Amino acid sequence: MNCITNVMPSPSRTPVAKNDHDVQGRDETREPHYEVKETADAFGVTVTLPGVVKDGLEITADENRLIIVGKRAWARPEQWTEVYRETSDATYILELTHENSIVPEKVNAELRDGILQISLPKVAAIKPRKISIG
Amino acid sequence: MRIIKYHTPTRRYFNPAAVYNRSLGHGFEAEINRWFDTAASGGSQQASPAQFKVDFYQDETHVYVRAELPGFARDAIAVEVVEGKLTIEATRESKEESGQTEAKLNRSLVLPDDIKVDGISAAYEAGVLTVTLPKKEEVKPRKVTVEVK
Repeated sequence: MNCITNVMPSPSRTPVAKNDHDVQGRDETREPHYEVKETADAFGVTVTLPGVVKDGLEITADENRLIIVGKRAWARPEQWTEVYRETSDATYILELTHENSIVPEKVNAELRDGILQISLPKVAAIKPRKISIG
Repeated sequence: MRIIKYHTPTRRYFNPAAVYNRSLGHGFEAEINRWFDTAASGGSQQASPAQFKVDFYQDETHVYVRAELPGFARDAIAVEVVEGKLTIEATRESKEESGQTEAKLNRSLVLPDDIKVDGISAAYEAGVLTVTLPKKEEVKPRKVTVEVK
């Protein structure tokens, strides 16, 4: 009997689906749109992160990975009701791997109007070298 | 007063009468549906690169449109209301090796009738544009009593 009461919906219980959107927004992650460019000295990564401000951004760089986590800064005010939605509240996560080819200490990042620009200087060993013939 | 909190477009059909017992909201909802129907029938809108995502919200006094437009200069975003249609247009110029390219994104949305056109404002933050549209104060229904002789 006890198990039946657990399964049966009861009017006093809060509906499970009530906050599913909020829960999704917290747990769900998605890979943002990004672009990688390469010059002789560095890699440049441009990541599209609409709705993310500096405080919600976390960049981790180590010997073979670059991880970017962007949380959205905006939360719907209490009084606002959703009418129609196309965007998601999901946290952006982008993980790029490389073969020990960048200098993590020299990574430089700039976030502006929802666009993140990261420059990843290459380690000397993989930079092209000109050899002059004497 | 918020009567029902609902989250997905599909759930809006659950009990529209309870959600929109006010004429204000009902009109807006109908307009959104109408707009969405035309957008959906016009082909795959998500596949088009010249599109951006929009959200709609409302409260007692305002309707809010939020559009994801990352990386645009403020003066490159134009918000216009013409004949009951809200148009958001964003232009980005970028210099590539092949020369200067211009990307233009725009989207038009049909507004409900109860929007006060002269009070519209817009703000741009973190690559998201928020357009705030005030609703007209609720018009009292006109009551005419006809005397029966």
